[in-house]
Amino acid sequence: MSKKYGFYICSGCGIGEALDVKKLAEDILEEEGHGNIKFHNAFCSPEGVALIQKDVADGVNAVCVAACSRRVLTDVFNFPGAQVDRVNLREQVVWSHPKAEEGAEINPLQLMAQDYLRMSMVKLEKIKVPEPFKLEILSRKILVIGGGVTGMTAALDAADTGYEVTIVEKADKLGGWAASVRKQLPLVYPYRETVSPIVDDKIRQVRSHPKITVKTGTMVARIAGQPGEFTVTLKKPGDKIEFDVPYPLPPEMKVDENGKELDNDGLAVKYKEYNEGRADILTLDPAGEMFGAVILAAGWRPYQPAEGEFKHLGLGESPDVVTNAEFEKMAAAGPVIRPSDGKPAKRVVFVQSPGAGDDSDFPYASSVTSLVALKQAKYVREDYGDGKAYIIYQHMRTPGLTENFYEAVQQDPGIFLTKGDVAAVKKEGDSLLVEADNTLLGAAVKIKADLVVLAMGMVPVTQDDPVVNLAYRQGPGFRDIGLFDNYVDSNFICFPYETQRTGVYAAGAIRRSMTMEESMEDATGAALKAIQCLESVNRGVAVHPRSGDMTFPDFFFQRCTQCKRCTEECPFGALDDDAKGTPKPNPTRCRRCGTCMGACPERIINFADYSVDSVGSMVKSIGVPTEDDYDDPPLRILVLVCENDAYPAIDMAGLNRLQYSADVRFVPVRCLGSVNVIWIKDALSIGIDGAMLLGCKHGDDYQCHFVKGSELASVRMQKIGEALSSLALEPERVTQQEIAIDEYWKLPTVINEFVEMVEALGPNPFKGF
Amino acid sequence: MGDRKLLEPDVQFIQTLGERGADTLKKCYQCATCSVVCPISPDNKPFPRKEMIAASWGLSDKLVTNVDVWLCHQCGDCSAKCPRGARPGDVLGSVRSYAIQKYARPQWLARAVNDPKKLPILFAFPAVLFVVLGLITGLMDFTPELRHGHISHGMFFSSWLVDMIFVPSMTFALVVFAMGLKNFITDMHEAAVAEGKVARTDLNWLDLIKAAPKVILTILRHDKFSECGENKERATTHMMVLFGFIGLFIVTGVFFVVLYGSMAWFGSYELAWHSPYSQLNPVKWLANVAGIALLVGALVMLKNRLFKDEKVAKSSYQDWALIGLVLGLAVTGLGAEVSRLIGAATVTYVVYFVHLMFVFCLFVYLPFSKLAHLVYRTVAMLYAEYAGREEALKKAA
Repeated sequence: MSKKYGFYICSGCGIGEALDVKKLAEDILEEEGHGNIKFHNAFCSPEGVALIQKDVADGVNAVCVAACSRRVLTDVFNFPGAQVDRVNLREQVVWSHPKAEEGAEINPLQLMAQDYLRMSMVKLEKIKVPEPFKLEILSRKILVIGGGVTGMTAALDAADTGYEVTIVEKADKLGGWAASVRKQLPLVYPYRETVSPIVDDKIRQVRSHPKITVKTGTMVARIAGQPGEFTVTLKKPGDKIEFDVPYPLPPEMKVDENGKELDNDGLAVKYKEYNEGRADILTLDPAGEMFGAVILAAGWRPYQPAEGEFKHLGLGESPDVVTNAEFEKMAAAGPVIRPSDGKPAKRVVFVQSPGAGDDSDFPYASSVTSLVALKQAKYVREDYGDGKAYIIYQHMRTPGLTENFYEAVQQDPGIFLTKGDVAAVKKEGDSLLVEADNTLLGAAVKIKADLVVLAMGMVPVTQDDPVVNLAYRQGPGFRDIGLFDNYVDSNFICFPYETQRTGVYAAGAIRRSMTMEESMEDATGAALKAIQCLESVNRGVAVHPRSGDMTFPDFFFQRCTQCKRCTEECPFGALDDDAKGTPKPNPTRCRRCGTCMGACPERIINFADYSVDSVGSMVKSIGVPTEDDYDDPPLRILVLVCENDAYPAIDMAGLNRLQYSADVRFVPVRCLGSVNVIWIKDALSIGIDGAMLLGCKHGDDYQCHFVKGSELASVRMQKIGEALSSLALEPERVTQQEIAIDEYWKLPTVINEFVEMVEALGPNPFKGF
Repeated sequence: MGDRKLLEPDVQFIQTLGERGADTLKKCYQCATCSVVCPISPDNKPFPRKEMIAASWGLSDKLVTNVDVWLCHQCGDCSAKCPRGARPGDVLGSVRSYAIQKYARPQWLARAVNDPKKLPILFAFPAVLFVVLGLITGLMDFTPELRHGHISHGMFFSSWLVDMIFVPSMTFALVVFAMGLKNFITDMHEAAVAEGKVARTDLNWLDLIKAAPKVILTILRHDKFSECGENKERATTHMMVLFGFIGLFIVTGVFFVVLYGSMAWFGSYELAWHSPYSQLNPVKWLANVAGIALLVGALVMLKNRLFKDEKVAKSSYQDWALIGLVLGLAVTGLGAEVSRLIGAATVTYVVYFVHLMFVFCLFVYLPFSKLAHLVYRTVAMLYAEYAGREEALKKAA
């Protein structure tokens, strides 16, 4: 399809005062032979929009709106049938730089606008119209792993919406932990009273729902394929079957006996040996069941203290020292008694922190353990009119309206709370003596107790087992969740429920410790996400975070060298590879971040509207003034900008009229992970004096929308430094800077300091060649 | 650490405090807002935060022997500012009430005075006593004559009879106080020394009394009340009632001396200077002014309590009983006088009889009721002054 261009240069919002828009069109567009150029003092007005609409109706399919940021008025400048590019003359040019002086030799604003307009022109030439990827057969069924309150709620919500759901539960009956408690925390306002377990009612609803299939005593052996067409093999726990998921080779097996890295063939042999008896991930189970999306609600288990752990609290020393999980079972069976002699346990001390001089809580403890202690204290009072329950905590966490429950429990005259550091639990006669320091009641106190309960935390089951057993080349579980104590990562700042695996949505206590109330709410969220996934996959668009993006990576396999970088670096495990190492794309697993595009040394991975060539051409279109043009030519600095964090920060800087060097040129990228080093090389080879990558925080507290993008970029930039040295260019000319979305105020400093640094280095020696 | 303190919560204590206006004490979550707003809270001791958790843990020992509890004048700033509505002011008030009852002997009477159900019996007792004693002694005349042409209450209820009852009553109150105070001071001193919050660690009774002039001046001037934010206006009513009582006490003392002095002088009961005294008599002026102060003060107190926001302060039975007593004394006292002056003989005798019953209640039930704060608080303030509470705090800071 041939392209028909339309350029629309706005002069509103101060653009017309600072720039000569007519001259801009003449110098850049008419020079290139473009004739369809229109001007208006407010293209966002109905009149302005009508102008563009009329052109689109007349066949214009490549629209360039040179006005405000691409992040604003997206609904206004939306013209179905045409690809739209926005040139940010307002926030990035006129709002963030002073108007040029009359009669000066150089007009920096005009030059900047020229560059941005040229970039847009080039981009519109280079990009193609994306076509959605559609699966041949799409399964709309949802698999729920875990039959506790979370899983059942997710199943009910999804099924009520009309989707077929299968619940897989490892145990022989539904209910999970919720089925074993005596009472549960309040579920409705005013959140003051415990309630009888609601799990039986849930089980009844699930059992009678025509769209829900329940498989108890069943677990997932493997999930192969991709969202919309997962092939799932189920099995009985303990069984060994051909379709058990294979594991990737551990690093020590990837080398030969001399420590040399194995080649692809060698690796394939080792992999076969390592996964003896298990089919490769690319072999689909012919008997497997098809699912479209997965909800992971496998829950938690109580923290299991190691042998001798918490000995100072009498654990393992006295049968009357128990964990909160054990206490719950005792309480569910009847009035609480002392395990040692069966006498009533009328004085119960709930210890919330291991103490002994340490302020921290028990491992995996949380607000839930605080609330459970309050709930269990009530049991003591329910069982015995003269019962006394003591809670000694370092941290009492009752967030939100659970504060009401805390207040209600506190009212009980027989429940006593204090912050304190438990020093020891000792035996005294047939009962126990709890010693505590630094309490609210004094420095050194002791309390007589019949029973001591320790507040063990909730460990996600993903601590022990991948659970989802994904037949993915990167491995069966979720990568790097150790960062989150093995809770299933969901880059929770922005995207709750989402895991690092598209189409798999986590809910409930596997995600973080939660009460049943929270888990049920969480389940609804995950169910909606699973539905969103199905309803995006069926249209061939990305689910998140680039919701609705129709593009997907296109591989030019003839030139692939099987280096496996794309497979290994994809943050979402979207790529599998065959025995030779050739990547096998799974487009519906993809989140369109372009990390593979940035990783590929052969530059054979591209998107229809975002390619190595399109961005490279934009970079190369930047005008680099030389001594032929001016006596003192200004520098040119390329800034590759993450469009999720840094780009909005730049807009906000403009909105706040913050000023920074006019020598920089911004080129937005989907993620710093998509930055291919060739762009930097291109920039330096045309005489651009320095290049900066501006993106989000990486590291343990990363903010990357694509988890690993900015981290990978930093690794690649270190490598490019070495390459620059070999070209006799200072490695300082290339840098990566972090800027969070709310740190717009930092922008001028970050930019100006780099520009000054490059100025000090002097101009790029390749300039003018 | 061999000397760990064993914590043994007393649930009964918590419930008792609850019945005395501190039903909210368990709401405290130890934020210490009370300590920040409290005008008497030292910089380095979170008062009354510590007292609040001791109360919610039912640690009665820690509270009833605590001198600081008595230094609080219930200004209500803490209760008004408490984010949880725990009303620390009322909690301290209930602790004081509990302490009064704890130190009073006999205990059965202390319990009765603090039990609203026993109120009719307590009130009926003097009535029966008066009538029985009057009939036995013949000092009560149901058809009294006029004295020198005027109605005289003494003709109905002889001064002999009055004093026969009230002199032992006062003695009883003094003995009960003396017994209670000895234990109170000893306990308070022990606790204060143990907590290291006083400068003096010995207990010298003489030095204790030497602190009196300064403390009494502070009390009379109502200095502590003026430090309050919330209940500032209380200073005036309290002052009216306190000075009313003092005035009436002086009047009673003067007339007691006049009656028995003149009797001794003349050697005859009949010739002695009997009441009623002339309205031109300056002592009578004092009596009237004091009576009116008592009445007005008590009425304003009643009004304040009736219209007080329950979230800031809740009145207990002990509070109402005291206001009732003061009001009863004032109304019957002035009522008896006015009805006498207008010549309503029957009315004035009846009102006078009721008035005497109130006076009996005032004396005999004093060491067990809220009014005992008059003595306990004064003593606690004395002790704080004597033992150098302020100095110790400054030193610790």
